[in-house]
Amino acid sequence: MAEQLYNAIFVGSIYALFAVGFALVFSVLDILNLAHPVVFMLGAFVALFFMSTFGVPAALAAVAAFVLTGVFGIFLDRVAFAPLRRRGAPPLSAMISSLGFAIVVIRLMELRYGPDLTSYPTGSLPQTVLQIGDARLDGLRLLIIGLAILLMAALTYVVRATQLGRDIRALAENPRAARLLGVDVDRAIAATFFISSGLGGVAGALLGFAYNAIYPQMGTPYELKAFTVMVVGGMGSLPGAVLGAYILGIGEIAALVFLPAEFAELRDALAFGLLFLVLVIRPRGLLGHRTADRA
Amino acid sequence: MRTRLFAATAAVAVVLAACGGGTPGAQPSASAGPKADIKVGLAISLTGAANIYGPAQQNGAKLAMEQINAAGGIGGAKIALVVEDDASARDQGITVFRKLINEDKVTAILGPTLSGVAAGAHPVAQQAGIPVIAISNTGVGIVGKCDYGACDWIFRASLGEETALPAALKAAKDKLNLKKVVLMFESDQKFASDGADIFKKAAADNGITIARTIPYKTADVDFSAFVTQAKGESPDAILASGLAGTASKVLVEVGKQFPQGLRVVGSNGFNSPAVITAAGAAAPNMIVGTAWNKASTDKANADFVKAFKDKYGSDPDQFATQAYTAMIVLADAMKRSTNVTDKAALKKALEGTKDLATPLGAFSFTPEHDVKQPVFVMTVKDGAFVPFN
Repeated sequence: MAEQLYNAIFVGSIYALFAVGFALVFSVLDILNLAHPVVFMLGAFVALFFMSTFGVPAALAAVAAFVLTGVFGIFLDRVAFAPLRRRGAPPLSAMISSLGFAIVVIRLMELRYGPDLTSYPTGSLPQTVLQIGDARLDGLRLLIIGLAILLMAALTYVVRATQLGRDIRALAENPRAARLLGVDVDRAIAATFFISSGLGGVAGALLGFAYNAIYPQMGTPYELKAFTVMVVGGMGSLPGAVLGAYILGIGEIAALVFLPAEFAELRDALAFGLLFLVLVIRPRGLLGHRTADRA
Repeated sequence: MRTRLFAATAAVAVVLAACGGGTPGAQPSASAGPKADIKVGLAISLTGAANIYGPAQQNGAKLAMEQINAAGGIGGAKIALVVEDDASARDQGITVFRKLINEDKVTAILGPTLSGVAAGAHPVAQQAGIPVIAISNTGVGIVGKCDYGACDWIFRASLGEETALPAALKAAKDKLNLKKVVLMFESDQKFASDGADIFKKAAADNGITIARTIPYKTADVDFSAFVTQAKGESPDAILASGLAGTASKVLVEVGKQFPQGLRVVGSNGFNSPAVITAAGAAAPNMIVGTAWNKASTDKANADFVKAFKDKYGSDPDQFATQAYTAMIVLADAMKRSTNVTDKAALKKALEGTKDLATPLGAFSFTPEHDVKQPVFVMTVKDGAFVPFN
């Protein structure tokens, strides 16, 4: 039981790390960035590149993943979103544009690395196991849970308490008003993409560490989960995304543990039934607010 | 309209051919000068979910084609592969089969990669009367008894799960005295859930109790909870039916949660070098029934492995080997056929394939057109597949 709770918290942490980046862009710019899974995948590959080519330790490779995918996020914005924004295109166009961008990058990565699984060099990851009573807890996962919480706390601090965060929130309220009030809107947008993608990239690298299976389409399964998490938590609410992620992670595993074996097939139905229920009872999501005061 | 016209032409051609009416009108005459190429379609997944396998299949088939042509082809005529991407999708597979048959006028088709796609595409060839060799479909209902009706134009060169899984489970039971197991399977993949049914039957036949069945989905990302659940039953082994993507995740988790080791009897999805790499230290837990032993010193196999390595710079995998073998089997039948472009004669020649030396071992077709070959039950040692026994 303790093991399953640990599993659930781990899964929730990974969902959360993925979803906050997704939610950040949505909350600030009102667009669903469907290229987020690509950023996630690139994070894992950046870490792989640094570790296998330069023999860099895993921790440093994760930092490299953050920085490089962050920069990639700015590039993504320039290519897929900025031209549409200038023309005042509807959010749906931006969503499709990011989807196209994602497919192109995935195909390019498949051309370069092949669609097959790749792994980190052997012995490059810590292999500690914590034995608590009967339960065997993977040390690496504990580290990842800790890091995820730390990163999310840092994000909250940046958004709530720094000048940059105030700029980003002003932008979320109203881009025009923000510009009139002297906010450097372009810088705030770039920062939003840097942070969002950097977090996605780190999540990818950490997940790569946890499962040691890296492949161009590795981000895709998280997309639907991230949607769910955002809707449950409240569209565009960062604490909501985190809460939603842990609810989904714990919900999925609780369904597995408590459903009788004959009904095991219903696990996903239960998890997504939750989504449905939230939508019916509280369309704004658990921590959703009116558009005006979110982010 | 265009397609219908083509279909009609093809149907007429088939009738003519079946009546012994010589070459269909659409085929260029092969009487004088350099003989026209014999076109063979290769429909594989180069993109989409199964794009892991397509490129390997293409490499295997191409190598065989080059070797056959270099050795004089089929009575002087060269084989020309027409490669089409089925995109891992059933509809695309159907379109591609239609194109190969109606526009390219191929003599035979190899493929498609996935069993699910085959279920849609094979009926197209069946209707047109074009021989097909399935090169990687291991699901049920590919040959013999097919859901869509008669499938007597379809052959299979890929060892089915109905043969491979029971062989692996039997070998594991004989050696490890298995009594109680847990079955995990990828429930949203037909192929994997068929595998689960085969495992259930094989377990019952061998007097093994399945203490718990744990379904999971292709999109599941974390397997710790499933394996913890399995651990609760203290099984003697885990039976797992899934594709390569989830296979390594199952193995990695088993490695973490069973430090003393626990055998995982896996389906065909486990049978991939990439799974060994991804599973790392946990890979030696696996037992899998396979169609091929890369290390076999059998001449046909050793020559193939060397030629593949020389050409592509990497080792072949089973998908490449089966595609290669199917080309060899097809060429052998073409040589024995009374008339290469006569599809009915080619079908008859294929049916006569007996103990042909291939990298998979002595290769024959059963009366149901299924492959008859040795089954290799393998495990992993030092990062490579080795025989389990």
